[in-house]
Amino acid sequence: MQETFSLVIIIVQLIFWALYSAGLMALFVKCGVKPLWALVPLGREYHLGLCAYKENDARTYAKLSIAAYLFNVAYLLVDHDTIWYDILAIAYITLRMAAVIYMVRITIGLCEIFNRKKSWAWMWFFFKTITVLIWGFGKTFVPSKKVPKIQKGVETYGINADATDDGLTVNITSRTIIDLFKKKYLLKDIHLTIPKGHMVLLLGGSGAGKTTFLNAVTGYEKADAEILLDRHNIYEEYENLKFDVGFVPQQDLMRSNDTVYLTLRDAASLRLPSNVSFLKKRKRVNEVLEEFGLGAIRNSLVEKLSGGQRKRLSIAMEFISDPSLFILDEPDSGLDGVVARGLFEKLRSIADSGKIVIVITHTPDRVIDLFDDVIVLAKDSSRCGRLAFYGSVNDSYQFFGKDSMEDILLSINQKEEGGEGLADEFIGKYAQTQQASREVG
Amino acid sequence: MRKKIRRSGHIYQTFIYLGKLFRMFIFQNDWKVLPMAAIIAGLVSFVVGKNVFVNQEGTLTGTFALTCVCIWNGFFNSIQVICRERPIVKREHRSGLHITSYIAAHMIYQAFLCIGQTVITIGICTLADVSFPDKSMLFPFALADFGVTIFLITYSADMMALMVSAVVHSTTTAMTIMPFLLIFQLVFSGGFFSLSGTALQLTDITISKWGLTALCIQGDYNSLPMVSLWNSMVKMKDVEVEGEKPVFEVLNYIETTGRRDEILAESGRQNQNLAYEYSPFNLLKCWMFLIFFALLYAVIATVSLESIDKDKR
Repeated sequence: MQETFSLVIIIVQLIFWALYSAGLMALFVKCGVKPLWALVPLGREYHLGLCAYKENDARTYAKLSIAAYLFNVAYLLVDHDTIWYDILAIAYITLRMAAVIYMVRITIGLCEIFNRKKSWAWMWFFFKTITVLIWGFGKTFVPSKKVPKIQKGVETYGINADATDDGLTVNITSRTIIDLFKKKYLLKDIHLTIPKGHMVLLLGGSGAGKTTFLNAVTGYEKADAEILLDRHNIYEEYENLKFDVGFVPQQDLMRSNDTVYLTLRDAASLRLPSNVSFLKKRKRVNEVLEEFGLGAIRNSLVEKLSGGQRKRLSIAMEFISDPSLFILDEPDSGLDGVVARGLFEKLRSIADSGKIVIVITHTPDRVIDLFDDVIVLAKDSSRCGRLAFYGSVNDSYQFFGKDSMEDILLSINQKEEGGEGLADEFIGKYAQTQQASREVG
Repeated sequence: MRKKIRRSGHIYQTFIYLGKLFRMFIFQNDWKVLPMAAIIAGLVSFVVGKNVFVNQEGTLTGTFALTCVCIWNGFFNSIQVICRERPIVKREHRSGLHITSYIAAHMIYQAFLCIGQTVITIGICTLADVSFPDKSMLFPFALADFGVTIFLITYSADMMALMVSAVVHSTTTAMTIMPFLLIFQLVFSGGFFSLSGTALQLTDITISKWGLTALCIQGDYNSLPMVSLWNSMVKMKDVEVEGEKPVFEVLNYIETTGRRDEILAESGRQNQNLAYEYSPFNLLKCWMFLIFFALLYAVIATVSLESIDKDKR
């Protein structure tokens, strides 16, 4: 009797599993996801999250579920009389509760994508099998957008830039990460040479890989690449060369309770060689304070500074070690036009002193006259950051057929981001231009 | 290949950061942990101070409360210190900061705070007429022994909080985790709540267990009288059995023969705890565990923070 009952339970569970999988398959087809994912444990929940445009929640849900599964296995293995049994049970329940919350978020996301009332989330919660069947096979249940397909991307020729004696040579073959068991390309085939004394604008839409590119160039996050600064390999000589590369982050990352002078003095202590005497360090700090117009406020606390002063201090902290390559991530964010202009003029003067300055900014047109070159990074159809252009500012207008940087950005942005979606076209065109110029050369 | 240029070393960087931390003490309200310690010590010694080191029950309650105060102080000293400036540390690590120097600076600075809190706690307890043990065990002065224990409990808890602060990425997460750690320390102190089996084994990994044990050893817990049995009997003195009051008669007999203290002492002897045995070796063992925990947490904090470059932007 007991065995028959257990068998019935198992059969009923199998039927429910089959029905849920069938409904999910139909739903996945509607959303543009491979239906076979509906049969893969955890993978199906992750893809349901993709359908809901809640990838991060889906990823967390998958991780929580894996952890809960492992705890469940351990729970079944330990002796019931020990405290570990209770601890594992508590851990399992806690993880499942968290997973349920993430699943609720995913189902609310589904309601939004399918233009349905959020009260449907209750149906998903209590009657998920019948709900998924309704949503999967019901003709009125249509998603407002499908999961974007990751395509192969544009073929390029991967021509290495020739190394220069006096400047920066970037040859990035690829930069990849492993994301939930998948290899994901963040950057591919970026080859260029920047001479010293140039101020370069790094242009690209959201997710185009600008910061990834900069981190790869500075050696902070290594890529499959060769980066040479005056023929010295940054990756191989990172410990030595990292002080020759100044990176100014977007946020003003300084301790607010320190004075301007002490902030800069401590930065000098960290960045300057140990054989530089205390007096020389002090002299250098005073020079930089004056150079960045911070002399008058040297004893002020950082928290009392204006946005522009803080930004100048943040730049001065990197400038203290006199780097050859100077990289700034949105130095003008939060600054008004006049202050921003003043800041970029300062950067121009740094470039004119024989350094390479690379700048990311979202408002380039107000200061474009100060730049020599522009690097345009674009997200191709495989969602990978690619080089769409590198050259002088005037050449970039000609190449894209536009007359402002904002228009160039619009042309390469994806359509769902409000752009023209021409990234692949320009990436291919630029690669061909490079190939042609190499053949002529 | 470029010639290698020497940059500032670990010791020099430790001093740079120590300077920063002491500036923070003055300018960023870190000094507030000292008056806070005084207020908490005052409250606790007012409530449980009278019977500490007088009888076994009072000693257990009082030392447990003192241990809690120390753990609370230690936790609050450093639970947010790293996570609140994590992006800054990341930037500085990129510029050549040695994480070992950074943690070493915190360890020295936190030791300074903990010494301050220890002095304050003992001072407040003295003001509240807490009778400290007068027999010294390892140092020439009993109060020095006691101070070391209070310091080590506070410092060990401080390092645990520092570890949490290094592992988590935000102050919100740190403050969410802290109560759990605190409850774990309180429940698994091993002295106050009766535990058995695996739960009892878990007490070995808590700061509270070794702190409480050290304080009870110093208070010579096993030599103190036990009063709870006597108090219970007093409550039952009017219970009648077959028209008589046997409990009252027994109590009356003990009182009239002047054997009350003897009974209380005997009651204490029957309630002795081997772990609280009054011996310098036992005390040293407790201290060693507390030092070991502090160092272990510091190592975990360092290892965890070494991967700060992997933080998401």
